Amino acid sequence: MIRKLLCAAAAASALMVGVAQAKETIVWWDFLGGGDGVRMKALLEEFNKEHAGSIEIQPTTLEWGVPFYTKVQTSAAVGEGPDVMTYHESRMPLGVSTGSLSPLGSEELAAAGVKAGDFGAADWKAAQGPDGKQYAVPLDIHSIILYYNKTLLKQAGLLGDDGRPKGLDGAANWDAALAKLTTNGVSALSVPTADNASVWRVFYTLLNQQDGVFLKDGKFLDGDNLAKATAVIGEMQKWVKSGWTPGKTEYPASIALFTSGKAAMHINGVWEIPTMVDLAKSGKLFDWGAIQIPTLYTHPATWADSHAFAIPDRHGNPVSPAKRALVLQTIHWFNEHSLAWAGGGHLPASLPVQDSQAFKDLKPNSDYASLAKTAVFDPVSTLAGVASPVYDAAGNFAMPAMNGEMAPADAAKQMRDDLQNQAK
Amino acid sequence: MLRSRRSEWLAAFALMAPFVFIYGLLFVYPTIKMIELSFRAAPLIGYGRWIGLDNYRRLWSDRLFALSFWDTLYFVVLSVIPSVVLALVVALGVNRLKGWMQSLMLAAFFLPYILPVSVVFRLWQWMFDKDFGVAQLLIAPLNDGQHLSIFRTIPLFLPAVALVTVWWLLGFNVLLFIAGLRNIPVEIYEAASLDGAGRWAQFRRITWPLIWPVTVLVFTIQLILQLKIFDQVYLFSQGGRVDATIVMVEYIYKQAFQLNKGGLAAAASVVLFVLIVALSVLQYQLLRARGAR
Repeated sequence: MIRKLLCAAAAASALMVGVAQAKETIVWWDFLGGGDGVRMKALLEEFNKEHAGSIEIQPTTLEWGVPFYTKVQTSAAVGEGPDVMTYHESRMPLGVSTGSLSPLGSEELAAAGVKAGDFGAADWKAAQGPDGKQYAVPLDIHSIILYYNKTLLKQAGLLGDDGRPKGLDGAANWDAALAKLTTNGVSALSVPTADNASVWRVFYTLLNQQDGVFLKDGKFLDGDNLAKATAVIGEMQKWVKSGWTPGKTEYPASIALFTSGKAAMHINGVWEIPTMVDLAKSGKLFDWGAIQIPTLYTHPATWADSHAFAIPDRHGNPVSPAKRALVLQTIHWFNEHSLAWAGGGHLPASLPVQDSQAFKDLKPNSDYASLAKTAVFDPVSTLAGVASPVYDAAGNFAMPAMNGEMAPADAAKQMRDDLQNQAK
Repeated sequence: MLRSRRSEWLAAFALMAPFVFIYGLLFVYPTIKMIELSFRAAPLIGYGRWIGLDNYRRLWSDRLFALSFWDTLYFVVLSVIPSVVLALVVALGVNRLKGWMQSLMLAAFFLPYILPVSVVFRLWQWMFDKDFGVAQLLIAPLNDGQHLSIFRTIPLFLPAVALVTVWWLLGFNVLLFIAGLRNIPVEIYEAASLDGAGRWAQFRRITWPLIWPVTVLVFTIQLILQLKIFDQVYLFSQGGRVDATIVMVEYIYKQAFQLNKGGLAAAASVVLFVLIVALSVLQYQLLRARGAR
């Protein structure tokens, strides 16, 4: 009797192992807790459904920013962690320097169908480490855009017949438009002026519109770049000083100012598109639109970053070659299906998706998709990238200057010195 | 006799062993490692090479560390003293109430204490919000009718966070004081009033001396807690001029987790550790000596 039972137990466990082997699991970590996270969840469900019986992704969503990257770093160091994770391209240099990322070979990428030519050159390059190796595959490009209230712009004569704003290019025109849009009780433009990341994104956009270089050869704001930075901070300060933009506005409050009609325009990330779309759907929003940030200086340029996929360098317990192949195929699947991800406001990194008719029909994304061509990514440095010392420096210096607490020239100088000091 | 003493020892050891083991594993050992790390040029993970006192020298000359040191002490002054004094006043008031009224008031003061810091942060952030906050109705008249962003105005930042902290933690201190007040026998007060002592005399001669040990305890707990201040300062300054209002634990966090400088962060932790030990021992001795007089 006992022998029979044992046999049965052994057979049962052998069967279970068999089943477990037939079905591969991929442990997945991401930091997508916002409105876009809902869309990723739907995509993950679709993937698991399509691959039922063969592959199952086990996703976990963790806290965005420093907590996420710390967790990745510490778990990789002890051979733990996921098989695949999301990563900001701007964070690549720091990730590589802390030994958190495993390089992706060109052969294994090709085997999974991932081709460099399917991505924008700047985007693909931003997924490389300072050593030139590929460490990630981009999923999207996300940037800042200009949201606008069509009714208010029309009243001010700033709306073209095509429903897009007109006469906003060039600093002088831009300033005049802001002055015009500021009327009793309505500000022209709301920006999260109490948020370092937002201030950095606007600052970096305007700096690059005049070919300013933030960091080159280990030197921050070298030569005449300091003067350019001063000019940009001065321009941003003017918006607040003139009463066109409310100062010291918190991130959520700046959105509320726009959606409640108290600000005619709003600069924020594409990731707030779902906020507007959902409000409009329930009939709580005016007629609105979104375009690429206007060109205030010599040529168009917009700050951008990418959510990308990477494989952690789990010390002593690396992701097996077979699992890596599977992971890269999975990454490729997500890129092929990134149109759904674009519903979160992002631009698909995959050019075939970006060029597809389905994306061109996707509004309002296609209204600002042009920004991808002139997107500028964060400086390549362990001090730069999302939630980095560079972001902090924007908060410590550029932000108070914008809010009128510091002279623009002092802010630019102190920002340069502070970062140069940290680079030592 | 000898036998029973030995079994006493055994029992004591058996009862303490689990704690001693966990204490050694999770406190003593990491503390020794931290001190060792502070002498190394270590990243967040890994050892790095031995550099002697370089980390400490760097701290000494770091303007940001000096700022975090003074900000921390400033915050302690702003939060500890008001929270102890206020808790005593509230406790004296609540203690006079009777029955369900007393329970209700006690609950009202204790309720904020059970909130997680994230909730406290959101509540006050929206109440004080420059554009939509309800507190602006009170703030604007004091500021020439203009709205004012309290948490983004540097000189107001630490006092405002201290105010929130006092509101948040007051209930616990009140509870300790009430426990202390209830330990004072009613007969003493009855005897005193028979002797013609007024309320003020009763407070000065009876309540104050008898509640003193509790006061010392509350003071010490608050001091240690506020020297380790991090959560609220981090949350309220998030995204803003973080360096202008940095406190010591925030400095440690920045060095270790954002800049990957484990050694320097360990050195700063050692300084904070020594500061806490020194200040709490000093304070405890001072206050106790005063009470014994």
